[in-house]
Amino acid sequence: MLKYTLKRLLAGIITVWFIATATFIAMHQVPGDPLMNDKAVPPEIRKNLEKKYGLDKSVPEQYVIFLGNMLKGDFGISFTQQNRKVNDIIRDHFPVSATLGIMAIFIAAVGGVLWGALTALYRNRLPDIIIMFLVILGISVPSFVFAALGQLLLVNINSFFGYSILPVAGWGTFSHMIMPSLVLGLGTMALLTRLMRSSMLEIVNEDYIKTAKAKGLSPTRIFFRHQLRNAILPVITILGPQIAAITTGGFVVELVFAIPGLGRYFVQAVQQLDYTVIMGTTVFYGAFLVFMVIVVDILYGFIDPRVRLK
Amino acid sequence: MSDDILQVENLKVEFSTYGGTVKAVRGVSFSVERSKTLAIVGESGCGKSVSVQSIMGLIPMPPGRITSGSAKINGHEIIGLSAKEANKYRGVEIAMIFQDPMSSLNPTMTIGDQISETLMVHKGFSYKEASKQAVELLEKTHIPEAAKRAKQYPFEFSGGMLQRAMIAQSLACNPTILIADEPTTALDVTIQAQILELMSELQQSEGMSIVLITHDLAVVAKMADRVAVMYAGQVIEMGNVDEIFYQSSHPYTLGLKEAMPSNQKDKGKKLTPIAGSPPDLFSPPSGCAYYARCPYAMAICETQMPDEFLIATDGDKNNNQKDSDHYSRCWLQHPDSPQVDSLYQSGRTNVS
Amino acid sequence: MNSYSPSEEDFKFVTVLDKGDQLTRPSLSYWQDAWLRLKKNTRAIISLYIIIGLALFTLVGPYLWRTDPALQDLNQISQTPSFPKKAVVVGPYKRWAGIVLNDFPAEPEEYLDFIPAPKNLKVVDAATTQQVRLSWDPVVGAGGYNIYRNQREPESINDLGLPLGSTLGGNEVSYEDRLNLESRQYYYSLVSTDGLDESDAYISIEVTPQLTIELATAKSRGLVDESSNEINVEISLEFHPMGTDYLGRDMLARLMQGARVSLFIGIFAPFLYVLFGIFYGGSAGYFGGKLDAFLMRFADFVVALPFLLFIILFKIGFGIGPGESGVLPMLIALVLLGWPATARLVRGQVLQIREEGYIEAAKLLGAKNHYLITRHIIPNAMGVILVTLTFAVPADIFTEALLSFIGMGVAPPTPSWGSMCNEGVKTMLSHPHELIFPALFISITVLAFNLLGDGLTEALDSRMRSRE
Repeated sequence: MLKYTLKRLLAGIITVWFIATATFIAMHQVPGDPLMNDKAVPPEIRKNLEKKYGLDKSVPEQYVIFLGNMLKGDFGISFTQQNRKVNDIIRDHFPVSATLGIMAIFIAAVGGVLWGALTALYRNRLPDIIIMFLVILGISVPSFVFAALGQLLLVNINSFFGYSILPVAGWGTFSHMIMPSLVLGLGTMALLTRLMRSSMLEIVNEDYIKTAKAKGLSPTRIFFRHQLRNAILPVITILGPQIAAITTGGFVVELVFAIPGLGRYFVQAVQQLDYTVIMGTTVFYGAFLVFMVIVVDILYGFIDPRVRLK
Repeated sequence: MSDDILQVENLKVEFSTYGGTVKAVRGVSFSVERSKTLAIVGESGCGKSVSVQSIMGLIPMPPGRITSGSAKINGHEIIGLSAKEANKYRGVEIAMIFQDPMSSLNPTMTIGDQISETLMVHKGFSYKEASKQAVELLEKTHIPEAAKRAKQYPFEFSGGMLQRAMIAQSLACNPTILIADEPTTALDVTIQAQILELMSELQQSEGMSIVLITHDLAVVAKMADRVAVMYAGQVIEMGNVDEIFYQSSHPYTLGLKEAMPSNQKDKGKKLTPIAGSPPDLFSPPSGCAYYARCPYAMAICETQMPDEFLIATDGDKNNNQKDSDHYSRCWLQHPDSPQVDSLYQSGRTNVS
Repeated sequence: MNSYSPSEEDFKFVTVLDKGDQLTRPSLSYWQDAWLRLKKNTRAIISLYIIIGLALFTLVGPYLWRTDPALQDLNQISQTPSFPKKAVVVGPYKRWAGIVLNDFPAEPEEYLDFIPAPKNLKVVDAATTQQVRLSWDPVVGAGGYNIYRNQREPESINDLGLPLGSTLGGNEVSYEDRLNLESRQYYYSLVSTDGLDESDAYISIEVTPQLTIELATAKSRGLVDESSNEINVEISLEFHPMGTDYLGRDMLARLMQGARVSLFIGIFAPFLYVLFGIFYGGSAGYFGGKLDAFLMRFADFVVALPFLLFIILFKIGFGIGPGESGVLPMLIALVLLGWPATARLVRGQVLQIREEGYIEAAKLLGAKNHYLITRHIIPNAMGVILVTLTFAVPADIFTEALLSFIGMGVAPPTPSWGSMCNEGVKTMLSHPHELIFPALFISITVLAFNLLGDGLTEALDSRMRSRE
C-alpha cells in the first residue's frame, strides 16, 4: 500500500510537470504579446516591463525560469493588477471555490448513493420512475440553466415570503452557500444516481447475493450488508474525475451567483489576457485535481480490501 | 411412512424473455430420504439448477415464475412462502452451496464474518460467539490455520479452500438437507475429489441429506444413492444408483453412459457423443423431448409424451411412495414396443 | 396419465433427420439483431426521431424560414412568442411642445402640508408605441409633478413602477413618454411635488398604446410599397413565432443558425477525436509492448489536464481574428483534449478481443494481421465505439454551451445555443423566453443523444445478449 501510494505520488508529480509545460506552450502560442493591453507604452517603460516579467529572455530560458518558480511555488505577479501576486490571488479566492466544490461533491455523493439505492430498491415502481425521470433531466439540462433557475427560484421564494430567506447572490455566510452548491452538485448527483442504480442492479445478479439469500438472511440485511457496500465501490472510483467536473462547473455557478471564487477570477483573467494569473491558476488547478484523484484512489484502497491488501 | 426429508411434486418453472416464455422445468418430482444422497444429472440447460433454485426461492421473479408444484421439507410446504417465512427454513433446514465458490462469497467481507452472520441471524449468537463457532466450522472442513483464515477475504483463498468455506458456512445451523449445485465443476480434478470426500465425511458425521447436482456421471457413481436423470426440463429416468448404471432404461441415460470415459471395461473403445443438441424450451416438442436425438426413435415418440413407466419396485410392496422405485419416461418401456438389445426393458431383459 | 392408446404402427422405428441442430429461431447478424432490439426500445426510437428532426431543423429550416437572423426588428424587441402583429403606419415623429399654463403659478405661492393628487389625468392624441402623451389638471400648491410607469396596477404609492421623469413647474401639466414603448398594458401614475418633496397621493390611468410603425421604416423593411404614402393604414409586421431577443432579432432564425454551430461542434468534434482515438488506441492495443506503454502514458497525461481550463487556453492560444466566429479554434481544442478517453477504451477492447478464442483460431488458420484487424477486431469493437460516439456528442454540446455561456465560446454576433443562453440569462426575469428556448434546445438534444446512447448500449451489449 505504501509503495503504491509513493508510486502514485511520483506519477502525480510528473503529471503536474506535464501540465505546467502544456500551459507554458499554450500561452506562448497566444497571438500578440502580454503587454499589448497597455496601449502606447513608451519604449523605455516597455523595456522595463519586459525585464520585470522576464520577457526579454529567450523562450527556453523563460521556460526554465518558469519551472524554477513553479518549484518554489511562486507564480509571479499579475499583469493587470501589478501590485498583486498570483499566489495572493489564489490564496484569497481558491478557498471559496474549494468550499463550494466540497459542499457540492458532498451533496452529489450522498444524494447519488441514496437516490440510486432507492431506485434499485423500488425498481420499475413509481419512486424509481420519478427519480429516474429527474435524473434524466439532471443529465440533460446544462449547469448554467440550473444556476439561472436556482436564482430565479430564490427571487420568487424571497418575494413570496417578503424577506430574504436565502440570499440570491454573493458569498460570506453558510446561507450563501446552499443554493450554489446544490446547483453545482445537481449534474454530478444525477450521474452518480444512475451509476449507483446500475451498480446495485448488477450486484442483485451476483452469486454472493444468491448465497446470502440461501443463508436465509432478511432482504433488509442483504440490502445493507451485502448489496449497498459493494455497489458503492464503483461510485467511489469515479468520484476523483467528478471532482474535476465539479470544479469546472464551478466557473458558471460562480459567475451567475457572483461568488468571488478562483473560477470567476480565471475567466476574468482570460478576458484580460492576464498571463501570469492564467498560467498560475491553470497549473494550480491541475496540481489540485491530480492530487485529488490520487487521494480518492488511496481512499478507495482503504475501503476495498482487494486493493488494500495487494 | 417413508423417511422422506424433501418431497418435490410436479414442479413447473417458466421464464418470460424477450421472445416469449421458456419452459425451463416441466413437471419435476423427486424425493430425498434422510441421510441419503440424491444426484440430479443432466446436460447444461436441462433445468436441474433451476429446479433446486426455485425450491430455495432463488429464482429472480420476474422473469421467473413457478407455475405449479409443491416442495415439502419434513412435511412443511416451502414454495410460495414470503421471504420472512422462507427464512425459517433457508440456511437452517436447507442449505446450499454453489458451482463457483469464487463469486459466491461476498468479496468485501471476511470469510469468518460471512459464516458468523448466519449464526447471528438464525441462532441469535453474539458476534463473539458466532466468530468462535465460525472458526470451529472452518476446522471441521479441514481448513488449516482456521482462526487466521477466518479473518481473510475471499480473494485470499484458493478455489478449493473457498468451497470448503462455503461448506462450512452451509453447515452453520446443522441443516437436514444440503443442496450442492455442481460443487466441483469449477475446481481442479484433485481438489474435486477432496471436496467430494469432505462432503461424504460430513454426511456421515452430521447425518444430513444431500441433493447433488452434476453433469458428471463419475461423481454420481461415487456419491449418489438415488439418481434422477433430467432432460429438457423433465426427469426422464429415476432410480437407485445401481439401477441407473446397470439397468439403464432410457436411451438418453445410455447415451450419457457411452459418452463417459471408463477405465475398467471397453478399453480402446471410442467414446460416443450424443449427436445434436437439446430442444429449444421456447417451444418444447409435444412428444418426447429426446425424439430428435434418439437412436431408437419411433413414430409415437414424435407426437405423444411418454408416460412414466415403472421398471421395478423394490422393498415394501405396500408402499405407495415411489421412493425406491425405478421408472423411465420412454415409449420403449411400453409392452407393445420393439425390443432393443442394449436397453433394459421392463419384463424383457434379464437382470444382469 | 396419458389417455392415448398406442397402435402397432406407433412402434415402428423411424429415422430422424433433424437432429435438433436446426435453429428454431431465425439467424440474425450482429447488426440486424442490434437494430431489432433498438426498435423495441421506444425511448431510443423517439430520440432517434428527435435527432432526425433536429437535423432537418438545422439543415432545411433556414430554407423554409427565411428571416435574416441578424436583422434587428426594433419595433418588436424582446417580443414573446405570438401570432403576427398588426401595426398602424404613421408618419415621422413630430415634436410636441407640451402644455404649459400661463394663468397658473410655476412656483407654489404657499407651501401646503398636503398636496392632493392631480385630477383628470388623460391621454392626449392617440396612445401609440411612437409616443404616449399625458395631460392633467394643475393642483394648487404643486411645484412640479413626477410621472411613473408600471406594468401592473399599482397597489400603493410605493408600487408606482419606473420613474419616467418629472415636470419642473406647477403649471407644466403634460408629459410625453417615448421610452421603449411596447403594445401592452401600462399604468401611468402621477404624484405632485412641492418642487422638492413628493406628496403622498397619486392618480393612475391605464394606457394600452397602439402598435405603430413609421412609414420610412416600413418602406425600408419592405412592409409597404416604395411608392406608397398612405398613413394610418394597418399592415402586418414581421412574424416572430418564437419571439425576438433583446436586439429584436428573430429567435427562430437565430436558433436555427445557432443549431448549426452547436451541432457542428457537437457532432464533428467527437467524430474527429473518436476516429483519432480508434487509430491511437487501436495501435497501442494491437502492437502492445513498449509502444503501448509509451502511448498510454502520454494519454494519461492528456487526461490529467484540467479540461475546461485547457479548452480555454488552447482556444485563446489559437486566437480569434477579427470577423472570425471562433468555431474552428473550439473544434481543435475539443479534439486535442477529447481523444484519450476513446483511445483508452479502444485499446482495452482490442486487448480483450486479441485474447479471444476466435482470434487464436483465425491465427491458427493462417490469418494475416490485416485480415484479423478488418474482419475480427474492428467489427467486434464497433459496438463500443458507436456507443462512445453517441455519448460524446451530448458531452461536447454541453462543453460548447458552457464555454459560450461564460463568454469563452463562439464570438458574437455568431449565435450558438450557449451564447444565446448567455444573452437570455440577463433578461431572465422580464423575458424568460430568451433563455428558455435555447436552453430547451440544448436539453432536448442532449437528452435525445443520451437516450439513444442508452438504447444502443442495451442493444449492442453482448453480455445482455448471452443472458437471454
